[in-house]
Amino acid sequence: MSSENKKDEEMKTNKVLAGKTTRRNFMKNLSIAAAAGSAGLVTGGCAGSATSEEAGLKWEEYFKNNYRLMTQKEKDETVARLVRLAKLRDNRDIQMSNQGPHENVLFGYAFNISRCKGYMDCVEACVQENNLDRKSKTQYIRIFEMDPGQLDPTTGDGKFHHEVPVDGKFYMGVQCFHCENAPCIKACPTKATWREPDGIVVVDYDWCIGCRYCLAACPYWGRRFNWGDPQVPEAEVNVDQHYLGNRMRMKGVMEKCTFCVQRTRKGKLPACANACPTGSRVFGNLLDPNSEIRFVLANKKVFRFKEELGTDPKFWYFMD
Amino acid sequence: MKKIILSSSLFSLVLGLMLMPGQYAWAGSRAGSVSERILAADHQLDSMQVESAHQLPVKTVEAQMKYQGGTFKVLARKDEIGRYRCSVCHNDKPVRVKNGALFTHSDVVINHGQGENELACVDCHDKKDRDVLIDKQGRKIDYDHSYQLCGQCHFRQKRDWVGGAHGKRESYWAGERVVKNCTSCHNPHSPAFKTKMPETYSLPLDE
Repeated sequence: MSSENKKDEEMKTNKVLAGKTTRRNFMKNLSIAAAAGSAGLVTGGCAGSATSEEAGLKWEEYFKNNYRLMTQKEKDETVARLVRLAKLRDNRDIQMSNQGPHENVLFGYAFNISRCKGYMDCVEACVQENNLDRKSKTQYIRIFEMDPGQLDPTTGDGKFHHEVPVDGKFYMGVQCFHCENAPCIKACPTKATWREPDGIVVVDYDWCIGCRYCLAACPYWGRRFNWGDPQVPEAEVNVDQHYLGNRMRMKGVMEKCTFCVQRTRKGKLPACANACPTGSRVFGNLLDPNSEIRFVLANKKVFRFKEELGTDPKFWYFMD
Repeated sequence: MKKIILSSSLFSLVLGLMLMPGQYAWAGSRAGSVSERILAADHQLDSMQVESAHQLPVKTVEAQMKYQGGTFKVLARKDEIGRYRCSVCHNDKPVRVKNGALFTHSDVVINHGQGENELACVDCHDKKDRDVLIDKQGRKIDYDHSYQLCGQCHFRQKRDWVGGAHGKRESYWAGERVVKNCTSCHNPHSPAFKTKMPETYSLPLDE
């Protein structure tokens, strides 16, 4: 995108923001007045002021914008509010980032089906990293035990629990493929899910209304729904969080693999790729011709799952 | 009646105008498929600029070969070997400790190569200078660069490892390229991965 186009885009966004400011400011002022009012009613007391602070923060959170329409200042404010709320509500000290994408980065992933042994270290690492609900045993990754000659995971066994690898079987991992032309994004009626410039498909949990259209639209079973409030033992909570990534979700919202946005934007490998003991998982920048992922695409036999659907996933399978 | 038709057509016109920029934006975002975006990439990210992609708490050495992007580093091996240097015991005098081999090396189980190709110690270790490995052409190879030795037979794996399709990087996708050594994942004496129970399990899909 040229800089002129960008400026134009910015101006448009600003106009939209300006148009909404009156109503939003009105609501905001109302909220502050309400919070102040309630604080006045409670009249002192340490506990009282804490709860009214919580109520005020929640109120402001309720009237915040869609993440994509926020200015950097608003993003910083909401992150600060969420950090404070975690402290007030759960007495939990978290760090939350709203780090944006790097320029000239497009994330891609490759999975070696001839190396994976089905150890599932990746699944466990993902659960720990992304604060996934332990009660319903939510997992972003599913490993299928497959018969030779089959390349469709629906023919495989996704719930094996025995010594692996089994002779004559191979193992195939499925997760969100971060499609360039993602059907889930088109299905969302509130624009709560979108593709970031570095290719990661993310969800604004605060704009998701839980209709689950995206879950139905995804041909890869890449999305998960929170039927209840996610439960994570306090000692296991990952406090290194990102607004679009592993921050605590709530009841009634969708979530999904984010390529560990909180890690990958800092240059780290996603938790699954980092945990894999067999080196079956290759992650990197598709726009860098020297990257490992580009080597795989150029030199190995690769295929994409359900490529004929035109979803253009950024997740390839390859063989040695 | 006419008024209603007029106003309704006006309404649809306004509605259409309102929707149009959105449609254009949609078409714009769909234009670039992954391959098109890859081909159109003209600027490269200097991945050394990515914050915090520099520090690694592990010891590394510069690899003695190059990959598509130039030089890279591998995890050092010698620090991991508990009894290195070997020449402390294996010097020009013979080792005369009773049951010495049993006490020091009985954890080594050789399961490398099959049948008549099964490897003996001296296929990789230098008989005279125990501090180094030796390849089939008699070249001495440092323990930190054991990929040179493994690559004699496993040349396909070595080619993939240099490029990035075998093995893996250490912790970071960005920054200086640091990859795991062969011996970071494989036990050189028994290199095949063992069978074991998976780390966790998944619930059935229909629950």
